[in-house]
Amino acid sequence: MSLFQFPRWTDKLRPLLGVTLLVAPAYVTALFYFGASPETLAVGYAPEQPIPFSHALHAGELGMDCRYCHTTVEEASHAAIPSTSVCLNCHERIVPESPLLAPLQESKQTGKPVPWVRVHDLPDYVYFDHSAHVLSGVSCVECHGRVDRMDVVKQVESLSMAWCLDCHRDPEPARRPREFVTELDWTAPKDLSPDDLPARRLVKDENGLDPMEDCSTCHR
Amino acid sequence: MSPLIRDEANQTYWRSLEQLAATPEYQELAAKEFPAGDEVNWTESSRRRFLQLVGASVALAGASSCYWQKETIAPFNDRPEGRVPGQARHFATSMELGGWGTGLVVTSYDGRPTKVEGNPEHPASAGATSIYAQAATLELYDPDRSRAVGRIADGAAQASSWKEFDRWAENRFTNLAGNGAELAVIAEATSSPSMARLRARFAKRFPKAAWATWEAVGRSAETAGCELAFGQSLRPLYHFENALAVLCLDDDPLLDHPNALRHARGFASRRKPEGEMSRIYAAESRFSSTGAAADHRLPLRSEQIEAFLLDLEAVLAAEHGLSLPDPASGGNLSGESVREFLKAAAEDLAGHRGGGLITVGAGQPARVHARAHRLNQLLGNAGRTVEYLPAESSDPIAELGAVTEGLNAGRYKTVVVIGGNPVYDAPADFGFAEAYAKAEERVHLSLYRNETSEASTWQLPRTHFLESWGDCLGWDGTITLRQPLIDPLWGGRGELELMARMVEAVELEGRGIVRKTHDVDDSAWRTLLHDGLKKDSRPAAVQVRAGKLDPPALASGQTKGHAGNGELELCFHADSTLYDGRFANSGWLQELPDPLTTMVWDNAVLIGVGTAEELGVENATLVDLEVNGRSMTVPAYVMPGQAPGSLALALGYGRTVAGHVGGLVSDDVAPVGFDIYPLRNSADPYRVSGVTVTPTGTPFELAMMQDHHQIDTIGQEGRDARLDQVVREADLAEYKQHPDFAQHMVHHPPQESLWPERTYEEGRKWGMNIDLNQCIGCNACTIACQSENNISVVGKDQVLVGREMQWIRIDRYFKGGTDNPEVVNQPMACQHCEMAPCEQVCPVAATTHSSEGLNDMIYNRCVGTRYCSNNCPFKVRRFNYFNLNEDLKGPDNEVRWMAKNPEVTVRFRGVMEKCSFCVQRIAAVKHDARVADREVGGDEVVTACQQVCPTEAIVFGDLNDPNSRVAQLQKSGRAYEMLSELNLKTRTRYMARVRNPHPRLAAAAAAAAPAAHAEEEVHHG
Repeated sequence: MSLFQFPRWTDKLRPLLGVTLLVAPAYVTALFYFGASPETLAVGYAPEQPIPFSHALHAGELGMDCRYCHTTVEEASHAAIPSTSVCLNCHERIVPESPLLAPLQESKQTGKPVPWVRVHDLPDYVYFDHSAHVLSGVSCVECHGRVDRMDVVKQVESLSMAWCLDCHRDPEPARRPREFVTELDWTAPKDLSPDDLPARRLVKDENGLDPMEDCSTCHR
Repeated sequence: MSPLIRDEANQTYWRSLEQLAATPEYQELAAKEFPAGDEVNWTESSRRRFLQLVGASVALAGASSCYWQKETIAPFNDRPEGRVPGQARHFATSMELGGWGTGLVVTSYDGRPTKVEGNPEHPASAGATSIYAQAATLELYDPDRSRAVGRIADGAAQASSWKEFDRWAENRFTNLAGNGAELAVIAEATSSPSMARLRARFAKRFPKAAWATWEAVGRSAETAGCELAFGQSLRPLYHFENALAVLCLDDDPLLDHPNALRHARGFASRRKPEGEMSRIYAAESRFSSTGAAADHRLPLRSEQIEAFLLDLEAVLAAEHGLSLPDPASGGNLSGESVREFLKAAAEDLAGHRGGGLITVGAGQPARVHARAHRLNQLLGNAGRTVEYLPAESSDPIAELGAVTEGLNAGRYKTVVVIGGNPVYDAPADFGFAEAYAKAEERVHLSLYRNETSEASTWQLPRTHFLESWGDCLGWDGTITLRQPLIDPLWGGRGELELMARMVEAVELEGRGIVRKTHDVDDSAWRTLLHDGLKKDSRPAAVQVRAGKLDPPALASGQTKGHAGNGELELCFHADSTLYDGRFANSGWLQELPDPLTTMVWDNAVLIGVGTAEELGVENATLVDLEVNGRSMTVPAYVMPGQAPGSLALALGYGRTVAGHVGGLVSDDVAPVGFDIYPLRNSADPYRVSGVTVTPTGTPFELAMMQDHHQIDTIGQEGRDARLDQVVREADLAEYKQHPDFAQHMVHHPPQESLWPERTYEEGRKWGMNIDLNQCIGCNACTIACQSENNISVVGKDQVLVGREMQWIRIDRYFKGGTDNPEVVNQPMACQHCEMAPCEQVCPVAATTHSSEGLNDMIYNRCVGTRYCSNNCPFKVRRFNYFNLNEDLKGPDNEVRWMAKNPEVTVRFRGVMEKCSFCVQRIAAVKHDARVADREVGGDEVVTACQQVCPTEAIVFGDLNDPNSRVAQLQKSGRAYEMLSELNLKTRTRYMARVRNPHPRLAAAAAAAAPAAHAEEEVHHG
């Protein structure tokens, strides 16, 4: 008979079992909540690029405007990655022999593009439009951070939906006059009036209506 | 099917005979939105397999959510000026079908054509396209396309290359040069000026070679009819916009014609009760879209059309003083309804001299065409509603017959087949396949490896029309250009490039060949390519004069009122979606319902209700047909409105070498439908008489969409009570008396909402208007939406359980008796209710309202409860039961991704989807407006269904802009809201249909149904 009975010492495990049942779900929830959050997973992502291009040097030290390379940012959804020919505008003469630029030279010869690695990657069901933001006076720095200080570009914001909505619900602090959009170190002067800001065409200022929180603004 | 209850069918609307008879199957389908059968795919996999799958997907979900994929960005090496990544670009090009072209404007993303639209400047398009043009992108990226040169020598297939073919061809054609008696070419019909130029060279190089133009279906009888009537080879160009009285004889000019888009546009402009409305008569054997749009329709056996026309001549001569060049003999058709119809039609045609039009179907013999052409001229219609343009006479059957004979006699050692598929679709009595095999070398240039390629020694991959240069003519003769949107995916060659090599032309590349044909300077060439056509290049109309015609010798069957078994006629027609079979491998077209039967993935012999009862044929059972001494077993479909004694069968099915969609027997993919060509003879290619039907009683499942997605599933009684409110219509006389009749057909107490209603007075307020008077039920909107919105195809098994995915469907309602019902077509998509019932039941807020009034659907939030669909009164929501894009993952199928619209999410298993009012197009217009710093116009956003619609029945825009077309139309008296008693506040409004019956015939019809009329009076009171 005793063969079919649990040994007496297992009685001590009962409270332990109770504690485990209580704590384990909380632990698993917390693990997923914090462990799988965009802040944990995405912020700080800084993949190695085929060419160790330094934004700190080009945009920071040399003071090149973002739009010199990312030409389509004001007219299109995509802020185009510069083509090989754009890089070569300067690097035809400046350190053309550098081994760091070998992929560029190779691209020029083979006609195949340089395989840059995407840093800021939104899910495929999100439709983001660069021009809509830039034309409304939202600076590059609001999402991409101080790229002009980065040697290796890394993601500084979570790019989560909650983070998008924080700004979409109260965009004013993120807006500035259009001419300063690419000046990453710009700070708002004390006497800045709302009239200095670009009109938010098709949105609130014009008709008292704000479609920016509609689901279909980003998802379709 | 239980016996029909015909009496109840008098005035109510019904969708199918099953509904009329209230069969148990129908009742189950109507009562349950998600019918039993959710286990369909479970039967194959055991529960254990299911657990394995679930276990694996949980594990994978865990693994894949840990980090994004590494994604690379490939910029241009040197970006062309003006080229913006991710931005759509549009190019003018054209598509040729059956020898006639339609101008197109194709949307391309990053060098990848994704969507086809009509070219508004092109006379054969006017901005609309056919379903075939819409399906072009799917065809372009079809992995089943012919990918490489194949050589079959000594019975063994081997891979080859263009280089080897060129070497072979140079040798072969050099030997043939100067003579060519051993060479035959079988080519698809084309109106290409470049091809004509190369053909002239061909005739010079191979003076004795044979050339046959082969098309399984076409309008050559029409041209032959002109030769009989006017002594000249001509083709008629109809102007429906000028026609006030139209008589269509076994013809479907609104759908089945190379110029159908233009006809539909002209027709629609005359179907506005606010203006002068035309009256349409249709006498036909098979229910056509034109018949459905007609004010009066007469079901008549196809063989009786000639007698009908003779009777018409007699009535016109006797009662309306028309002088004929020869004495009218009359066809002496019997029957009260025929006489009444004839008299009314004659009265209208005689009363609108110069504003009438008689058209005859392609399947009628030349002598019938001749009589109609002559009548048009005698009634003064020539030059007004119909113009005659010079045409080349051709007789494909005679030409192919001559080549077949030569092949059998061993005359032709080399045969070049340019496109087409004669082994599959040649007339059965030719025995073409055997004759073809007798030639030593058989070269076939083809988009797919089809039945003819299998029988050839050289299988050459042909470029798709979106990959190649070319030109063609519109039906009105306008010179139309074709330019490629993408490099050939599989390195094929176009028909011009193959010809150029055969005739040793200097220019071997498509662009050079076309450029040389249109010998203009650079700037004019750029204009040509930009416009896609040469403006004002159509030929002038020819003046015609009618002469005498041989007195007809009518066969006894042609005048006989009743045709019993053994005397039945069988008519062959190009399928409404697969054409002659060339589109069999297109999933979009296979799953596009036939406009009248709503059948998909099959063909069946159509039998009228009375005839079916007489023959003892049950719906959806197999029958044996005995035709021309051959017999065949096919499923039967009992079709309301099919002429008594007449059977109809669609060609284009039963392909054995089409591909993995349409049938590929060598790879165990069964053919779709039944191949009818073995019943078709060269002597009577469109119609045979003396057919015997033997019912077998064996059931055969046909996938019909007509009973799916019934509006309002509260039960049979509730629906029946409500149906005449769903589609609303009146006579022109009633409309003139009560222009706002449609708004007074439903009465309900003032409505109040349970919560404060949102107003949309400021900003944009998107709305749609659909005119039931304009809709001809062509289904172009369905397929345009499918292409624009990445909608999946589900297959016949899934359609059978009501799981098709199309976002916009056409509800086809019958009204009246089953022998000759009237038809109303109602396009149905999400109505974007302001008080949307679907939103109120979604537990996760995956469907919510936007501030502009769109009923947004957010896929990434949807958990698939299907509550929304359950609560939708219009049944417009579609659920992804499976990951329908799963098969796109294989390396062979990857090319199919390229057909997807990058602006629309590709949906996964387990989410609901539905019409979004083309929210991506709204976003695109807003984007352009923002960049240009301007306002969005009220008419600026054009939805995919609106853009493709040949009759402009669908209008979309901003309701807050009082000048927008949609706002104007919704103010009209004909506009009504569906199910307004539910307080849905739909954004889509319908415009009631107004028929324009002949007063005498209308009075007769009213007398036949007094009860229904009295009820209507109460509504008006």
